Amino acid sequence: MLALQLTITGLQTGALYALTAVGFSLIFGSTRIFHFAHGATFIIAAYLFYFVNVSGYGVVLGIAAATAGAIAFGLLLNRFVYVPIQRDEGSFFTVFVASFGIGIVIQNIVGMIFGRGFVTVQTPLSFSVELMDGLYVSPLAWISMLCAVVFFGILWCFLRYSNLGLSLRALADNPELVKAFGLNPRYISACAFTIGSILVVPAAIISGATSGLNPAMGHHVMLISLAATIVGGIGSVAGTLLAGLALGLAESLALLYVDSQWTEAVTFAILFLFIIVRPSGLLGRSAAH
Amino acid sequence: MEAYLLNLVILISIYSILASTLNFIMGYAGIYSLAHAVFFGVGAYAGTFVATHFSASIFFTLPAAMIAGAVLSLILALPALRVRGEYFVAASLGLQVLAVTIFSEWKSVTGGIGGLIGIPPLDIAGFEVFKPNQFVFVTVVGLIIVLFIINRLVHSSFGRSLRAIRDSESAAAAFGKNVPLIKTISVVISSALTAVAGVMYASYLSFINVESFTLDTSVLIMAMVIIGGTGTQAGPIIGAALLLLLPSLISYLDFLPQTEIGSIQQIIYGLGMALLMIYRPGGIVGLKKQSGGGKK
Repeated sequence: MLALQLTITGLQTGALYALTAVGFSLIFGSTRIFHFAHGATFIIAAYLFYFVNVSGYGVVLGIAAATAGAIAFGLLLNRFVYVPIQRDEGSFFTVFVASFGIGIVIQNIVGMIFGRGFVTVQTPLSFSVELMDGLYVSPLAWISMLCAVVFFGILWCFLRYSNLGLSLRALADNPELVKAFGLNPRYISACAFTIGSILVVPAAIISGATSGLNPAMGHHVMLISLAATIVGGIGSVAGTLLAGLALGLAESLALLYVDSQWTEAVTFAILFLFIIVRPSGLLGRSAAH
Repeated sequence: MEAYLLNLVILISIYSILASTLNFIMGYAGIYSLAHAVFFGVGAYAGTFVATHFSASIFFTLPAAMIAGAVLSLILALPALRVRGEYFVAASLGLQVLAVTIFSEWKSVTGGIGGLIGIPPLDIAGFEVFKPNQFVFVTVVGLIIVLFIINRLVHSSFGRSLRAIRDSESAAAAFGKNVPLIKTISVVISSALTAVAGVMYASYLSFINVESFTLDTSVLIMAMVIIGGTGTQAGPIIGAALLLLLPSLISYLDFLPQTEIGSIQQIIYGLGMALLMIYRPGGIVGLKKQSGGGKK
């Protein structure tokens, strides 16, 4: 029964990990921008929802604020940091450092406004219901999984059938060719940032009610996103999804054997194993060089 | 005032060692590590372990710390450096997070979250160094030795191979360089030298705990290198001095809330990193928009 309980909790965590990680993976895969401030997008969305909710404006406005905040942050960062850097052929390093710096700024500004301790969004949805003898599941678990299914369904249709989705995939393959076909890579990049940032929102909001929020959790979000992107295979959205889900499950099932402070060690072990055995990841197409 | 200045010089020297050793892999080999504080911590804990259990002589503590740092970095570097740069960033971030857990859980060696107290002073050939006005010489000499070693390495054929790899891995490989091997050696050297700073830090404060070796420290060291100037010799030292002086400068400005000094410091260097990357990727010391240095 404990194993089943942990599986459901793991699927809940995994669904949220997958959503966050796919956002990063989509941006990194199509634009090649090492968007380390993705963790900061998460923080902004989560705290905006928390703020609006605590001020008594309700859930719908909260979701709207979180979504608007996440998109605005992603687009502004792209426009005022990444685009200027890439104008003079910024390398992996320059983009990473700038993104990292912005992440630190956001973490500390949020810390100064809301305090550095944990805050939680209070909602009756986080109360667990006893499904079977000894099996407790909160409605938030089903909501997380439903969010993942809905968002990934829409994303899949979008990438598969829409022209914009097609050009996103084209940008990942060959930016020069995209230019040659008369498409504007900057416009497509902006779209990638919009979609990638939206994907963070459900995970940010639900985490606020389940595990609680803390300004420093952006680094944890990034560790999960990076691990899922690498384990899934860089450039593969489906791989990242699977890997995110698997990491959540593994963290939760590991509790059968180890104490909870070692869950991040499980993530690290899986990441390390993949780097040694299969650097191209679960669904990666080419070697990682 | 004199004690305050001595303390500052000692800390700047120790952090200059940390920044210079990180710069050695970041600026010359193009390897971006978020786990530098781990090797600092491993050096501090290993040195303390030897000092309290066997002998406080630096002829035992320093080699023990350097070996511990080198072995751990080898375990990280061997797999993670065979593949692209992003993998090392991810693996080092993972190691940093894991190391903080280990530092706070492995109570018999690290003392857990409470840390270790009563660390013996440095014993240099029977002469115990603990007064700040003596310790300052040790750290400054230590810094000079580390800088000398790095300087020799950078200007040797090994250093030229490193820069070749940084500028173009495939070109270096085409010229017959064993790219993963050279990168791994550079990480091992850097980590072993970082551990030296750990030993000095532990015996200077005579108290250490996990707080000094968290991700925040890794980020601080990285900011020192980047703001000072990646791939330059003077840059990391200037960066270390600047960022360590920052808290005292902030406390002179009365209009800023004094309880938030830590946050304000981090905001300033976070913003500094982002702005430098947009306008001056070479850092303060580096040339404006140069092709070498921080870029590539």
